[in-house]
Amino acid sequence: MARRDVGEINAGSMADIAFLLLIFFLVTTTMEVDAGIGRQLPVKLDINLPPPPPVNERNVLKILANKNDQLLVEESFVRMEDLYDIVMKFYTVNKGGERDINMPLYEPITKEKCRAEITKLQADLVKSPDNTSLPGEIAKWEEKSALIDVVGVYSEIHKSAVIQLKNQAGTSYGLYMEVQNILKQVVNELRVIECEKHDFPDYYTLREDRPEDMVYINMLRILVPERILESKIEN
Amino acid sequence: MSKFKKGGKRGIPAVNTSALPDIIFMLLFFFMVATTMKEVEMKVEIEKPIANQATPIEDKDNVDFIYIGYPIDAAEGTEPRIQLDDRLAPDVTSVGDWKKSKVRAGKRVLDIVTSLKVDKSVGMRIVSDVKEELRDVDALKINYSADISK
Repeated sequence: MARRDVGEINAGSMADIAFLLLIFFLVTTTMEVDAGIGRQLPVKLDINLPPPPPVNERNVLKILANKNDQLLVEESFVRMEDLYDIVMKFYTVNKGGERDINMPLYEPITKEKCRAEITKLQADLVKSPDNTSLPGEIAKWEEKSALIDVVGVYSEIHKSAVIQLKNQAGTSYGLYMEVQNILKQVVNELRVIECEKHDFPDYYTLREDRPEDMVYINMLRILVPERILESKIEN
Repeated sequence: MSKFKKGGKRGIPAVNTSALPDIIFMLLFFFMVATTMKEVEMKVEIEKPIANQATPIEDKDNVDFIYIGYPIDAAEGTEPRIQLDDRLAPDVTSVGDWKKSKVRAGKRVLDIVTSLKVDKSVGMRIVSDVKEELRDVDALKINYSADISK
């Protein structure tokens, strides 16, 4: 039986089809990557809660971006270039011991302290089982205790150390983002140092959607906490 | 008479174009992989701020975008406006309901990040109001959109 020759398929228009698709994708797409600075807003609080206890002045770094796009730290004007050093100092000046009494102090966290705090909080919980914040507090100390198992005794910035960021209605978003960027930069750099010190994976490769990375992220959040308080906007 | 000289027409042989589809396909695949679809048609003009600490958004499916900028259409005025999906919001109070309506099946409002794409010259008043609205509906994870470099 004679073999019938199958003729070659004409592929000449293949390029045209591919071109058409290519042009479609060229037109419908944008090359930009979506990037940004992630932040968590504070939970809406119950109005009826008792006011928080007064906080020592030295534990608060007051940053104000005013409506003329000027930057004030602790009520005096500063340049944007100097903000990095100011925030860095706030975080680190007392880390190795008490050097500046006007900045937040550090406190060594030991196993004994964790145990004592947990026992005390559990006793409180027995007395007032309705208190919703106590279980969270206990969990926090348990996490700290677990952290000591990994990194050993460490020192922690004062628990009420906070950066207060105030804006006015006329403050430009650009200035606000410059400040946010510097706050992020300081925390990132300090966390990178902690990562290197304790042989953690590279900080910038850690991702929140991977549970194995979250272990490290949670530890870093205790070692270098990022507490930003955004006050209500002023006119 | 040269022995190489032949009679008849001498033309330049046609360039072999059989590899052309492959090259085009390669380009096509590059663009298909490297690009993302435009999310919405922009109704406001936004020049994003620069922030070298910005990190790329990984999980784009679980992000909602709020755009705040100056309206492109002059009939909408010159004040900064909020764009939700592809229309301008009448005022800030519609942000909360919009955010709740965008919840994906099996997720809480809390799980979905809200990315704020804001023009850098917009005042903080409108940004602050949007954040308050988001807090009211428990959409606490936000992301300030910025370009990593110029």
